[in-house]
Amino acid sequence: MGVTRVVSVDRNTRPGIIPILIGLRTTLVNLLKTVFLRGAATVQFPEQKRPTSGRYRGIHLLTVREDGTPKCVACYMCATVCPAECIYIESGERPEKTIEKYPTRFEIDLLRCVYCGFCVDACPEEAIMMSRENDLVGTTREELIIDRERLMERAKLAEYGPGYRPSENDVRRPVRIAALERLKREHGIVPGPPPRG
Amino acid sequence: MPKCTIDGKELEVAAGMTVIQAALQVGIHIPHFCWHPDLPVDGNCRMCLVEVEKMPKLQIACNTAVTDGMVVRTNSDKAVQAHRTTLEFLLVNHPIDCPVCDQAGECYLQDQYMDHGLHDSKVEVEEKVRKRKVVDLGAIMLDAERCVLCSRCIRFEREVTGTNSFEFVNRGDNTQIATFENRPIEHDYAGNLADVCPVGALLSHDFRFKMRVWFLSETESVCPGCSTGCNIFIDHRDAEAQRLRPRRNVEVNRSWMCDPGRTLYKEIAVTERLTGARVKREGGWDGITVAAALDEVAAKLRAAGPAAAFMASPQATNEDLFAFKALADSLGGPLDFRVGGPQRLLRERLDQVLQRKDRNPNTQGALDLGLARDGVDAILKRCASGEVKVLLLQGVELLRDPSHVDAIADVPFVAVMATHEGPELDRPDVVLPAAMWAEVDGTFTNFQRRVQRIRAAFPAPGDARPRWELAAELLRRCGGTLAAASARDVFARLAAAVPDYAGLDYRTLGSTGRALLLQGLAAAEARA
Amino acid sequence: MASAVDTPAAPAGATSAAVRVLRERFGDRLRAVAEFRGDLAITVDRSAWVEAARALREDPELDFKLFLDLCGVDYLDKEDRAERFEVALHAYSVSTKHHVRLKVALPESDPTVDTLCGVYKGANWFEREAWDLYGIVFRGHPNLTRILTHDDFVGHPMRKDYPTAKRHVLKKSKEWLLKVPEGSENLIVNIGPSHPAMHGTFRIQALMDGETIEDAEAEIGYMHRNFEKMAESRTYWQVIPYTDRLNYCSSFMNGHGWALAVEKLLGVPAPPRAEAIRVILSEFSRIMDHLVAVSTNVVDLGAITPFFVVFRAREDIYELLDACCGARLTVSYVRIGGLAADVPDDFEALCRKALASIREVTKQAEKLLTRNPIFANRFRDIGVLGADDALAYGWVGPCLRGSGVAYDIRKDHPYSGYEQYDFDVPIGTVGDCYDRYLVRIEEIYQSLRIIEQALGKLPKGPIITDDKKVALPPKSEVYSNIEALMNHFKLVYEGILPPPGEVYGYTEAANGELGFYIVSDGAKHPWRVKVRPPCFNIYQAYPQMIKGGFLADAVAIIGGLNVVAGELDR
Repeated sequence: MGVTRVVSVDRNTRPGIIPILIGLRTTLVNLLKTVFLRGAATVQFPEQKRPTSGRYRGIHLLTVREDGTPKCVACYMCATVCPAECIYIESGERPEKTIEKYPTRFEIDLLRCVYCGFCVDACPEEAIMMSRENDLVGTTREELIIDRERLMERAKLAEYGPGYRPSENDVRRPVRIAALERLKREHGIVPGPPPRG
Repeated sequence: MPKCTIDGKELEVAAGMTVIQAALQVGIHIPHFCWHPDLPVDGNCRMCLVEVEKMPKLQIACNTAVTDGMVVRTNSDKAVQAHRTTLEFLLVNHPIDCPVCDQAGECYLQDQYMDHGLHDSKVEVEEKVRKRKVVDLGAIMLDAERCVLCSRCIRFEREVTGTNSFEFVNRGDNTQIATFENRPIEHDYAGNLADVCPVGALLSHDFRFKMRVWFLSETESVCPGCSTGCNIFIDHRDAEAQRLRPRRNVEVNRSWMCDPGRTLYKEIAVTERLTGARVKREGGWDGITVAAALDEVAAKLRAAGPAAAFMASPQATNEDLFAFKALADSLGGPLDFRVGGPQRLLRERLDQVLQRKDRNPNTQGALDLGLARDGVDAILKRCASGEVKVLLLQGVELLRDPSHVDAIADVPFVAVMATHEGPELDRPDVVLPAAMWAEVDGTFTNFQRRVQRIRAAFPAPGDARPRWELAAELLRRCGGTLAAASARDVFARLAAAVPDYAGLDYRTLGSTGRALLLQGLAAAEARA
Repeated sequence: MASAVDTPAAPAGATSAAVRVLRERFGDRLRAVAEFRGDLAITVDRSAWVEAARALREDPELDFKLFLDLCGVDYLDKEDRAERFEVALHAYSVSTKHHVRLKVALPESDPTVDTLCGVYKGANWFEREAWDLYGIVFRGHPNLTRILTHDDFVGHPMRKDYPTAKRHVLKKSKEWLLKVPEGSENLIVNIGPSHPAMHGTFRIQALMDGETIEDAEAEIGYMHRNFEKMAESRTYWQVIPYTDRLNYCSSFMNGHGWALAVEKLLGVPAPPRAEAIRVILSEFSRIMDHLVAVSTNVVDLGAITPFFVVFRAREDIYELLDACCGARLTVSYVRIGGLAADVPDDFEALCRKALASIREVTKQAEKLLTRNPIFANRFRDIGVLGADDALAYGWVGPCLRGSGVAYDIRKDHPYSGYEQYDFDVPIGTVGDCYDRYLVRIEEIYQSLRIIEQALGKLPKGPIITDDKKVALPPKSEVYSNIEALMNHFKLVYEGILPPPGEVYGYTEAANGELGFYIVSDGAKHPWRVKVRPPCFNIYQAYPQMIKGGFLADAVAIIGGLNVVAGELDR
């Protein structure tokens, strides 16, 4: 059990001239440290960019299958969970009977989006993830409603790197690992729904 | 009347009632797949197992009649375990199709898994039995992998339509549902197959991939397709109807509706909808405000007096008809509605299931409210002879018959309340935009003389107004008053004025309506 | 607040004493007593409302002196209720350590009840808010006008029949909040809303006699986004990003408070590892908030250096949060039942880096400020609010502790495992700006202690509850079996379905008691969410505190209160 005590703060701090000098010395030391040692905390944007983590929630991207079509099957999980209601999807028929559905339209209004990452959490097909792209620039509102094609582009992904996505470590019950191993071994599949016959 | 206790709640039920039905009466929903209130019992899914005191084995609630003194527990440990195990077996070969399956959101497996399953899977996906997918059967799509073999579709085909299209083929865990040679379903009730299927094995082709059902709001209404008046739900999102589906009413349509009725939602949001009033001038049509159009029509009506004739429409609600008649009565001109003789077809069956030949929802209401008065032919004769100076039409029926259009060629002023553009609107001089059935509160009286409520699911487009409102506004401009600010008020006036409708109001009509007395032969014809 | 699952039945002592006392005094004007998840809710008749509140406050056995919250609730079309509206009062007793909820039901035809301004000073603004958002009339209120919405707003937006999509065009600004007395030479000075000293957007209008403030009036609502109405059309999961935007200086703590409140409603606790990480990140957020509070406060006085010094440490905390969840400020890292994902492998290293950096910058800030005579003169004996007034207004957190009241939820109602950690709760003696400053600095050091202890004994284990009705199944399951896929689908489109009932969940956020009063009717959206915003109570006292002082002092005081507009206006 932890111990908590109630303690009165000490008001007898004896302010005076010396503390002012101590403060000035503190600032001087900071100045020297910044100039000669650790550098400024600021970043010279846009030539330098502040680093983001591997889980950064930047602009979204749609993952693709080997044939270049989107993995997305327009299940609407992301559009349903989005707290900002910024995803618009229309679905159509795919001839492959094991896939059946795909998005004919998939649009995200990047200005409404709050970059919470729930769409990535909600996707059951690993079809949407977020990159580390955070340079959101546009001159009109319409420009910042991105469509399926833009979401499948890879130029920005190469520049910024992948960000928030499902983790391969998201495995809670060991009994399922054996099944995943088998999938990997016999079908060459890593997390994701297996191709159907 | 046996008495029983279910989960501690005591109740008395009619003799012969099964446990599953009795439980519903006290708000207990026993999980099930194959049982359906309007289909014969099959008892094959084994999901509704419950513990009955003094019986050593669990019993299926759907086929166990309540006996006096019976004590049932639907959530005892044994029953809970049975539900979970049954669900687990049903899911053994079930494909991981939720993302592409339209049933999500109204799927018995999903719902019952959360309430009665919550087990971990023991099956690897590549071990599942593969069956036929995406089989086009016309109005419905079949996916045999998703089928839980409940046989509801088989029983529907056998008992309701008598067409016996479905049967199980193969054996063991290769059992599949199939039609002979994958032939499509060819009757008018295929949509119900998608409704009865508890999973995504049978799905509506029309609704395929259109929208996820949890985005839809539902509004209770009545189908306007024919005089049967099947109870329905309008499923809509953002003021647009997405589909219609049946609402259970044991007296009228049970759990079914016909496919032609289902397609009626498509007529609502089309670009041909009339959204504004217009008046014919020298050079062509002028769009004007509804108020201005009503002023013009009222001026003509006032000038004409008894030389104004009125043709109501059996497509209109009772409220519309009542207001229209009040207007006609205030001016003293002739009134009728029977263009095409709908009253002759009112109770004639089109098939052995639901549809009737009268394709109007409210012929009976028009008869009840006294709109069959002066005779269509008589009115047309007076139009041709020049006696009628103003003709007000509540619907476009008259304008669709070329011989009728000829008969009214010399009427100086014709005004019509219409919902859609069309060539028939060339003739009238003023067109008033009317709201459709899905956009208004009101009542229809069906062939059984059952008064049923319809409710507005979303507002009418543009300036379109309910027909009763247009008539009330004309009445006001002609010096009368309907003394009603809402459809509910109009109905109250109606109930006060029409003896057979006395004592009815929206609250008592509720969700399933109220039947008025039918005499003799008509009563025999009226049995659903 | 003990772990949700262990919450016992209402403890004997003051709360059942509350029922007894009220029953004795009011007989059957005490309409109902309900208990749910350890919360006691007492409903009284309208005629007994003021007297019951007074009894709760003044009866020495009850002593509910701390005014927490007063809000309206609209139960439109709920058939089991005779009256449409309800007003709920939440209060706390520091001496007996009990919370209580007092409610009164009001009919739609006459939603009127007497004001509680005479019992609790803090009720003033809350009643204005209930009038503004619900149209509930408080008889006898000195100034029942709109507070969060614009003066020209038509309708009461929190009512259930007010359409969320309705728009108003509101252009007129309210020029005068005060009137210059006839014939005087007073000047009216506007401070804000666009003013650097108004941290966020709020406004004070002061009636000046030279440099002295004779009278002051506040106007708030510039950042009102009606979070509470949005919450009524979102699932419990979807509300989480909205909580980040309450007190955005310490956004993780709001999510933490929300998750705990919902977990209390559900009766589902988060696993120990999740709670420990929540504690660590909450304490880091508290540190962030205190650093901002102190440094921006002194920026207003012209001491800009500490701001630049302490923000280096904030940068390290942001780096830590980014590594954990992918965002620096709007973290959305909590989930109901735990956290979204486990912390990264370099979590401890990043924490230690931040700890070192915080220690260094705080020491430097102290060197620059604490004994500086200019600073001391500007802060000592300025903005004094005594303990009684503070409780009556509903002050909590460092401001209340600065006034000498030792109420810290982490000590008195520990949650998320706080009971395992050793830490001190600093309190002031005078209740001036200097005390509040010293309390905040000391709290930073105590938070560092807590983080180090939590890091040292971080348990292994799951990061979220294994209750399938609450937590999403792991992705490997969702991809590979139908059961988990269905579970996933149901949780996304239907969400968590709590039992019908109401709870008040509370945590010690950076500004004090952040409460969430959640009313559930069993559906997937909450029926009502009321945020108990600590700054709302704190800022309410501000116009009174600055009367009679200098304008320059008003600026010194406001920063020390740490009013964050996101939390104030919601």
